[in-house]
Amino acid sequence: MTSNAMHRRTVLGGAAALAAGFTLAGCGDGDDGQAPEERKKGQKISLTFWSWVPGIDKPVDLWNRTHPDVQVKVEKVSAVNGQQYAKMHAAIKAGNPPDLGQIEFPVVPSFLLDNGLLDLAPLGAGRHKGKFSGWQWQQSVFGKSVYAIPQASGPMGLFLRQDLFDKWDVPVPRTWDEYETAAEAVRKKGAWIETFAPTNGNRFSGLAWQAGAKWYATHGDTWIVHLDDEPTRRVADYWESLVRRKLVKTIPDRQNAWYKDLQTGAIPAWVGASWGDALLVGNAPGTKGKWRAAPLPQWKAGEQAFANWGGSTTAVFAKARYPKDALDFAVWLNTDPESIALLIDGGYGFPSAKKGYTTTDLDVDKDFFGGQAYSKIFADAGAHVDTSWRWGPGVDTLYQRLGDAFTDALADGSSFRSVLTKVQGQTLADLKGKGLKVESGG
Amino acid sequence: MSRDTLSRPEPVTPRRARRETRGPRRRASRTGARNARAAAAFVLPFFALFALCFLAPIGYALHQSLFTTERTGPLGLGGQEREVFAGLANYAQALSDDRFLTGFGRVLAFGAVQIPLMIVLATALALLLESASARAVPFFRSAFFLPYGVPGVIASILWGFLYVPGISPLVKIAGSVGWDLDFLSRGTVLWSLANIVTWQFTGYNMLVLIAQLKAVPGELYEAARIDGANAWQVARHLKIPLIRPALVLTGVFSIIGTLQLFAEPMVLRPLASSIDSGFTPNLHAYSEAFVGNNPHAAAAEAVLLALVACVLSFGFLRLVGGRTKERG
Repeated sequence: MTSNAMHRRTVLGGAAALAAGFTLAGCGDGDDGQAPEERKKGQKISLTFWSWVPGIDKPVDLWNRTHPDVQVKVEKVSAVNGQQYAKMHAAIKAGNPPDLGQIEFPVVPSFLLDNGLLDLAPLGAGRHKGKFSGWQWQQSVFGKSVYAIPQASGPMGLFLRQDLFDKWDVPVPRTWDEYETAAEAVRKKGAWIETFAPTNGNRFSGLAWQAGAKWYATHGDTWIVHLDDEPTRRVADYWESLVRRKLVKTIPDRQNAWYKDLQTGAIPAWVGASWGDALLVGNAPGTKGKWRAAPLPQWKAGEQAFANWGGSTTAVFAKARYPKDALDFAVWLNTDPESIALLIDGGYGFPSAKKGYTTTDLDVDKDFFGGQAYSKIFADAGAHVDTSWRWGPGVDTLYQRLGDAFTDALADGSSFRSVLTKVQGQTLADLKGKGLKVESGG
Repeated sequence: MSRDTLSRPEPVTPRRARRETRGPRRRASRTGARNARAAAAFVLPFFALFALCFLAPIGYALHQSLFTTERTGPLGLGGQEREVFAGLANYAQALSDDRFLTGFGRVLAFGAVQIPLMIVLATALALLLESASARAVPFFRSAFFLPYGVPGVIASILWGFLYVPGISPLVKIAGSVGWDLDFLSRGTVLWSLANIVTWQFTGYNMLVLIAQLKAVPGELYEAARIDGANAWQVARHLKIPLIRPALVLTGVFSIIGTLQLFAEPMVLRPLASSIDSGFTPNLHAYSEAFVGNNPHAAAAEAVLLALVACVLSFGFLRLVGGRTKERG
């Protein structure tokens, strides 16, 4: 081979290296200025809906059977590591988002940053406000605008293997102190009470929420961010102590290794959320009848402080072709009693709608929980969630920052408090970088 | 053609000569033009695609990397969005990001170990398969090449099952003899990834080397054997120097491939807390673009990544090229 040919190859090789730029730069702005259309009477249309909720196909099928003119096509998206949102943001940027999408409460503001969601207020969304539990409706209301229809929340609680707790003579913990004692007792039996997954920002924020943290607030048109506050520090210290004393594992949750540990009893508990029942049933079927749900441990005995993990909405994207019909579908999906029944069967969480179900409807997997009316636990938790908690823009980045910093802390032994200080600073910079006015809370 | 005409000199009269010299020249320029047109017709589609699929995206990435987004409106929500010129601010930000720089350090360490290992392995396999006269050679050649046919994502999922404790038979077997294996810890995960990449690409590189070995004329081997060289000497003094260009080529491809490391850490990330969002520069750019929703910063990082890839590839070529000259 001559040196000339070599050079040519290298240039082509360099081309391959630049392919990174390719994928990132490949999508255009695609602002085609198309005005949304109004469906003519009798006109048949079809809407696309991106979701990952298990069992979402069934209520959608029901809608399609009962609404022949407006057909909804579900496209499943992956919810691993927030990939569904990456896909949605990219589609918004490329100008080809779906008509509707499943979006969790925490990330609604992130979508508003890139003008991805349609303001439903001018379409008369306000009429439906009364059908939903108030604070959940407020989660997607900013100023006079309504950006999404709430679907479900995820009040937090404690799942545990009652049989193992009994066998090992460990009482069900009611406070975080008792939880620590239980963790010590479980560890003595060769198991770990559960895992502290460093990359799970969702759960960590829920725990901070329970402790009374307020990460986001607004003042005029300035965002106030306060991650490094006293309640969050308390939560960080608590889990750091469990991690350092090796009373909990640090493997990622909701992954194969974790499911395996649930199946074998190596991890007999999980601080989870109401929708966790479906996960346990689906991934540890061999442990049927042995699980129970208990209220989330409290910081002070006798208190009733609860929090929410996840919870999602059905949002209409800004480019939806038939916004009116999309809104109708979103409201129907989340309020129609038959739809709610099907969603509950699929295991989607705790309904945001006020009517159309009873708590016994929610005990779908009663047998798995040894006949316990476990949804009562979550209904009580839901009733005591601190509803003043607000989300701000860039929560997906915040979770990633938290995950990275906790991962570092686990590796190099730096304190969990330093994680909070670091991520607080990074978040301020991130939001400034997005062109927002932002201040650190006091 | 020209040599042919030259070899048949003809005595010519001046007049004829003038005509002759004018004639062919005009003919030549006409054919030349025709050839140029034909060549253009053949080359144009390539350049069109090259410009569209290669130059344009690079230009766009460069352009994107120089801008930033400014927002107005209450709390920055639902308001106006404007792209403003930011100069090199995105580059400055990328270069002051510890995680991004650490990612570079990580892939360089990865490459320094994995590339030589893989190329030595590929060379050994190629030489062995070329010198063996057994019937099973085609079978082994395909078997070694097979992993290349498995997409990187699938390969990572496959290996993921062999790495994850509680599921992995390897961890279990090691555990049963008291060896506490952890493929996914902070210290080991990079080498677990190196293993996946080596498994995937050794066979591919082996095939490139075999192709070059096949091009070596048989007389050379014969001559060596007549001179009394044994198999090892033939390999050491004949085959390896002769497949040098192929070795350089696989080296360059591997350097670029290493810097692009993405699919493997991306797939293993949910399984291993030890892989952070900026584990490799490519992963960092991805996170910046699709999690942070900041395409401008991501574009700057992609451009930096491409620059480093160019510098390293050309640097490597300079290095090995220089040695050739010394020897020559």
